Amino acid sequence: MKIFAIDTTASPASAAILSDGRLLGEYYLNIKTTHSQTLMPMTESLFKNTNISIDDIDVFAVNAGPGSFTGVRIGVASIKGMTFTSDKPCASVSTLEAMAFGIPYFSGIVCAVMDARCAQVYNALFRLENGEVRRLCEDRAISIQELSDELNNYKDETVYLAGDGAELCFRAFSENLPNVRLVPENIRFQHAYGTAKAAERLISEGKLCTSDELMPIYLRVPQAERELKARQQK
Amino acid sequence: MQKFFTNSAEQTEQLAERLAKTLGGCEVIAMFGGLGAGKTAFTRGLARGLGIDEGVCSPTFALVHEYEGKFMVYHFDMYRVTTYDDLYSTGFFDYEGCGVMVIEWSENIEPFLPENRINITIRTLSENEREITIEGAEEI
Repeated sequence: MKIFAIDTTASPASAAILSDGRLLGEYYLNIKTTHSQTLMPMTESLFKNTNISIDDIDVFAVNAGPGSFTGVRIGVASIKGMTFTSDKPCASVSTLEAMAFGIPYFSGIVCAVMDARCAQVYNALFRLENGEVRRLCEDRAISIQELSDELNNYKDETVYLAGDGAELCFRAFSENLPNVRLVPENIRFQHAYGTAKAAERLISEGKLCTSDELMPIYLRVPQAERELKARQQK
Repeated sequence: MQKFFTNSAEQTEQLAERLAKTLGGCEVIAMFGGLGAGKTAFTRGLARGLGIDEGVCSPTFALVHEYEGKFMVYHFDMYRVTTYDDLYSTGFFDYEGCGVMVIEWSENIEPFLPENRINITIRTLSENEREITIEGAEEI
């Protein structure tokens, strides 16, 4: 079973090939160039250097959101394009879940956070135990304050912050929540490896979709909307 | 805070050209001022200062224009952008840190602008006279 996975949902971009659970290759860039310029050269190079043809791939996985508007579209559109003619199965992975699957090196809570601006984050919580990832809540947009309050329920455990909202939250939380840690920088952000590992779970649960069914996933940020309206009325 | 007075669109452009010389390449420049204040003229001058000599016009319909000069310049018009969802789906947040962002009608999206930015406020004094306030920039 070979899985090809990509992530372009935020500032980093990555592509990976997983074969029977083993990482054959992964390409990761975190630079300012747009993904539309980096993703395809990375993908091409990955296939060439692993000596794998796109026809050998059984499942195409992508972080389908949440994330940046354009980034999510680039990833989903790319995978749609690659599977358009073959109609190979696709795995629509939550970016936040991919983060948790990318760092199963400890036991504790993963708080995956992406900056949604205006003191809001895209977030989900996961429990890691013996390399297993268990989801504790659905993906959502939530204010940093609300998240901080909710994390009071996990005071007895170590909570690891991952994602591009991690530093933002760490600064906001660390005074009241001494049990909160930052995941090391090199594995803090979503990687295509995590996307592929999350896809393995979807495969085992029979939750793949067709190229046609694959769609971007956007979360609404209702609080940001309210705040904008309130300030405009002032 | 620096305050200037200009007597023509050309003088407004020249002022912006001077501001352009102080830029490092990834600034967010938020422009405030109503219809006909000279926001696009200011942007034209700014672009010229970065080696972009033509093609600058108001992106009211396209929402964003991209120009390539000494740095990339992303020229936004937020006139019709009034909700967070609108702003998000322009891809606005994806541009941060990638070049110089110049934003007309910043009034509409002010809560979402980064704190570290340059504010340009243009006040219309008469048909040709403008008072231009620049905040957050190096001295020009």
